[in-house]
Amino acid sequence: MPRIVGIDLGTTNSLVAYVDPQTGAPKCIPGPTGSTLCPSVVSLDPDGSIIVGQPAQRRLLTQPERTIYSVKRLMGRGPADVQGELRLFPFRIDPASKNVIRVQLGDKVLTPPEISSFILRELKHWAEAYFTEAVDRAVITVPAYFNDAQRQATKDAGRLAGLEVLRLVNEPTAAALAYGLHEKQRGKVAVYDLGGGTFDISVLKLISTVEGDIYQVLSTNGDTHLGGDDIDNLLQAFVHEHILQHDQIDFSPHGEVAQELRRALIDVKHRLSDADAATLRFPLPNGKVFTREFTRGELEALIRPIVDRTMAPVKQALADAQLKPKEIDEIVLVGGTTRTPLIRRTVQEYFDRKPHTELNPDEVVALGAAVQANILDRGVKNMLLLDVIPLSLGIETYGGAVAKVIPRNATIPASAQELYTTGVDNQTGIDIHVLQGERELAKDCRSLARFTLRVPPAPAGLPRIEVKFLIDANGILQVGAKDIRTGEEHMVEVQPSYGLKDADIERMLEESIEYAEQDFTERQVIEARTESESILTATAKALKNPRAETLDAKERASVESSVLALQEAVKGSDYKSIRKKIDDLNHATGHLAELLMNSAVQSALEGKKLAEV
Amino acid sequence: MLQVPEHSDYFALFEMPRKLWIEMGALEQKFLQLSWKLHPDNFVNATPEEREISLKRSSELNDAYRTLRDPVGRVEYLLAIEGARIEGQNKQQAPPELLEEVFELNESLDELREARDSGSDVASLKQRLEMAEKNFQEKLQEVDGQLQSAAKDWDKGMEGNFGAGARRTAMAGLNELLNRRSYIRNLVVNVQKELL
Repeated sequence: MPRIVGIDLGTTNSLVAYVDPQTGAPKCIPGPTGSTLCPSVVSLDPDGSIIVGQPAQRRLLTQPERTIYSVKRLMGRGPADVQGELRLFPFRIDPASKNVIRVQLGDKVLTPPEISSFILRELKHWAEAYFTEAVDRAVITVPAYFNDAQRQATKDAGRLAGLEVLRLVNEPTAAALAYGLHEKQRGKVAVYDLGGGTFDISVLKLISTVEGDIYQVLSTNGDTHLGGDDIDNLLQAFVHEHILQHDQIDFSPHGEVAQELRRALIDVKHRLSDADAATLRFPLPNGKVFTREFTRGELEALIRPIVDRTMAPVKQALADAQLKPKEIDEIVLVGGTTRTPLIRRTVQEYFDRKPHTELNPDEVVALGAAVQANILDRGVKNMLLLDVIPLSLGIETYGGAVAKVIPRNATIPASAQELYTTGVDNQTGIDIHVLQGERELAKDCRSLARFTLRVPPAPAGLPRIEVKFLIDANGILQVGAKDIRTGEEHMVEVQPSYGLKDADIERMLEESIEYAEQDFTERQVIEARTESESILTATAKALKNPRAETLDAKERASVESSVLALQEAVKGSDYKSIRKKIDDLNHATGHLAELLMNSAVQSALEGKKLAEV
Repeated sequence: MLQVPEHSDYFALFEMPRKLWIEMGALEQKFLQLSWKLHPDNFVNATPEEREISLKRSSELNDAYRTLRDPVGRVEYLLAIEGARIEGQNKQQAPPELLEEVFELNESLDELREARDSGSDVASLKQRLEMAEKNFQEKLQEVDGQLQSAAKDWDKGMEGNFGAGARRTAMAGLNELLNRRSYIRNLVVNVQKELL
């Protein structure tokens, strides 16, 4: 069975990790540059190819209109939701977008799940190169406070990347898993997770039972639009304003200059985590250099409102868990933004306890995802994760009010049944509107889905339809209906309010072929065939060489039979068999290669394969 | 999973009698023990049918734990499975002994809204409402106390010889208290909304 990997699909960076079967410890997989961080940046080359990660990040400066970052902010959201973001982020939303946002990227129009799928594919390739075997199943992390639509969008992205998403795990919960394994923690744990674009707080109880360790989430809260990005936006607006006033230069907030300024400011922000002061030197389009020293105090004054915004969810999560700050045994800090000293100080003061920062805050979520993948994959029977639904599930009732059917912080899977009947004779449908959120009115909650229950014609009040709302272990809604009179059960086709329909995904999967994406096996076969061609050509050429005359008959026969075997294997599509025959031929031609070499360079070329001579 | 038999109701699932006082530690222990067996994490590589069953059974377990853990939810559930839960005919109708106070409260709420619309001073009205809220909060606590003692009576009846008539009376009493509680709670929530 191929391995299951854990993936942290982050706003700023994404990572892939696995549990080393030898050591039992989770480990992040490095990409081609050796770094385990894949910047969540996607660029569409004019030739149609997709570029992801560091090379795409460089293109933010050279081809910003073909490059996108922080796409996670758009996942599962409608065009009306993101108007605020558009002032701050260089998203080019297709004005024709209806429920699902479509983003203009170069000459293409793509949905957020498609763009995210390119990042997932990149990580899939990292893992495949690392294991030299196909990877097609994954656990992906999501912010705990993601609603149903945002979760569904993440799952869709996985599917589009050719991954079966076995589980969506909440990021703070994943971090707790990684820490729990690392530190052998027990008791009540608060995880404060401030990433690039999202903030989560989760309160967990770690329980030891005879069967093993249980990680039970007691409550969660957060803000899916609060993170390091907001700090960068503040800094950028601050300096932009300054330059406008002093140098009378107004550059487009999303153009190349703005991107360069943003990167320079992020660098200043990072330096201020360790130093008390850092200087920004930024070449302006008019040839002058903008120079300004920032002190840590200044940065802290600027970002304090953002840090303060995280505290309301922290208090709510504690209230929901019916705990006081001093009853929390351990605090874990997760997410790159928690490197900011002001955040560490604020959290430490509130809980009156030093937070844990031992694990790399960039990697810890991916490591936890790998732990969960391992639990699912190898059937690890001594760890169990019990997570919760972050937002209440409700149904619209008369007058636009919402009746809650599953409360927030209910352990998932969770379900609720509601009984429906008709109001007029021969009514054939009952409209149902499902919402998520804590507010009392439907218009203030998140619309998840609307659907119509089909009812056989009957006098008013006679039909009895039981509708079952079920939240699965991923925090995703399923709806089933049962006719109480006939006992007939069926799944309800739920039209997502802000998501892709199954048909959309099927179409995208078909279209994605145009991105010249082959699956792992195909790629391996192609590579093996290419290599065979070059070694076969080299062998044929070598055998014609006069020096090959000295080869004895037995060796020549061995070479010739290996050639035939390889030629035969290439006709098939078993890349392992082709590789084996390549190795055989390399072995058989060892002496031939030596004969062909000039004796003067022979020692230098010792051990070279024939194709390399 | 098959080792855990299916049960007709939440009390049976937790192998507990239909009593209203529940020892929380025992309830939690049983919940964790069943979670180990039923959670979907155990069935990732199982057949689709088994996965479906695990999803259904583990959601039931979580629903049961959520319901039984909540003292009020537990009473409501007990009455529902006993077929004795009858919600107030008209949720808007005040219990007779509260009529006067509810009337005053509604008047104050109207005055507050009017004052807000006309932009006049609302401080004293707010103060009056805060007093009223406090008053109804106390009534809520009172009902909770009554509910608790009614629950104790129910348990006593379950332990001894509960005659059919006494059982019906006890359930009717619990039902009325629940309706009263939900009426007062609604009032409190409404006042709190106005005071925000």
